[in-house]
Amino acid sequence: MDQTYKILVVDDEPDLEPLILQRMRRQIRANEYEFVFAQNGVEALEKLNADSTIDMVLSDINMPMMYGLTLLQQIHGVDPNLRAVIISAYGDMDNIRTAMNRGAFDFVTKPIDFDDLKITISRTLEHLAEWREALSSRDQLVALQNELSIASQLQQSILPKNPPVTDKYEVSANMEPARNVGGDFYDFFNLDEQVGLVVADVSDKGIPASMFMMSSRTALKGAAIGVGDPERVLEEVNNQLHQDNPTFMFVTLIYALFNPANGSLTYSIAGHDPPMLVSADGTVTELPLTKGVALGIAPDIVYTQETVELAPGDTVVLFTDGVTEAMNANNEQFGLTRLADVFDGKAPESALAANEAVFEYVRNFAGDAPQSDDITCLTLRRP
Amino acid sequence: MEFSHDRSGDTLVVTASGRVDGSNASDFLESLQGMFDPGDQRIILDLGGLEYISSAGLRVLLMAAQNLDRQSKSFSICSLTEAVGDVFRISGFDQIINVFPSVEAAKQG
Repeated sequence: MDQTYKILVVDDEPDLEPLILQRMRRQIRANEYEFVFAQNGVEALEKLNADSTIDMVLSDINMPMMYGLTLLQQIHGVDPNLRAVIISAYGDMDNIRTAMNRGAFDFVTKPIDFDDLKITISRTLEHLAEWREALSSRDQLVALQNELSIASQLQQSILPKNPPVTDKYEVSANMEPARNVGGDFYDFFNLDEQVGLVVADVSDKGIPASMFMMSSRTALKGAAIGVGDPERVLEEVNNQLHQDNPTFMFVTLIYALFNPANGSLTYSIAGHDPPMLVSADGTVTELPLTKGVALGIAPDIVYTQETVELAPGDTVVLFTDGVTEAMNANNEQFGLTRLADVFDGKAPESALAANEAVFEYVRNFAGDAPQSDDITCLTLRRP
Repeated sequence: MEFSHDRSGDTLVVTASGRVDGSNASDFLESLQGMFDPGDQRIILDLGGLEYISSAGLRVLLMAAQNLDRQSKSFSICSLTEAVGDVFRISGFDQIINVFPSVEAAKQG
């Protein structure tokens, strides 16, 4: 045992002290236990208040000045983590029951059987050690949760706000994280006369995913500014992310470039669900998949791109699988068909309305079922 | 997740069924790697009974594949259901990991 436990023995009979010191001499010499003594409950409380290193109390029930059962009630106020063992007369079930109900951990009977007492003490202290470990784990968990919530705020704060709404194009975007920190993100930025749009999903969730998300986002934005064509941007980002990726994280995403001057949208997909096009007449189609692989897993992947012309009133919906794989209480997935049904025959009035409709439908579908994945949707509409 | 495996010569066929997502992905990897013997040269993962795989599950397959590749061992998956096959196709993982229609085809491949 690497720790000396301090045990307070409370008994009005003076012969218990030498007896304990004698019978426990081996444990005392080995620095396993240290005993302190009190004659009654009042003295015991004074000692407990004065010495916070006492781990355990072994107390008789019948004592002058303060009854052992009263002491039990008081101990909790001194330190709720103290453990108490009661010494009672043999067969005094009433007092034993009362003592247990008042929080005694165990009891021994008089005349004291020292073998039994040794077992009882060591069992009580084992329990105490486990309890303290649990408490310390809980404290660490609380600290970790606090850090997680800071990480979550940080992550939310890097998602761009105030998406552009002009007479040439409207953007709306939203991400609802499943856990404190998620792996999804969206982005939009101006590149000369064009607008870059991103929806991405990092493998797994939690802190590692969020760190990978941060580097993916930075790499993508950097490449978007420097490289130009979406397919070339993804090639560049893929190689960058692959270079230093010991944990085999990866990110799937769509990178799209919208040209407000002619309404053309050029996109390239890295292992992600293709976007959905809602035409002005309410027809819903899935845009073609381009060639590519999730980013970060293998070097020198070739990506391709597609271009579609958006007519006035057309809306493009970019989303993560948190939308299509949202589950309801019957373990059914929301799926692509339901997503298409959101817009079937009813072209949205604005990018914002389109985005809100997706989240509303998913929420209504999922009901009370827990959200297991981040849900992200970005909508682009040509007015 | 449920597993079984069948070894003949230097070929190990692991059958996995159920769902793999973030909650059991690390157990999946551990169970999978626990089945490998040093003598196995060819590992075939039969995913015919797999209903769902999330990105966390794909990552585990990637780790297993790269790990075996470094030891110059062959790794392939087979018998994907339509839903799981879609995940592999869309994510592009079918270009990274060998995918076969059946265990027999994987053995010949």
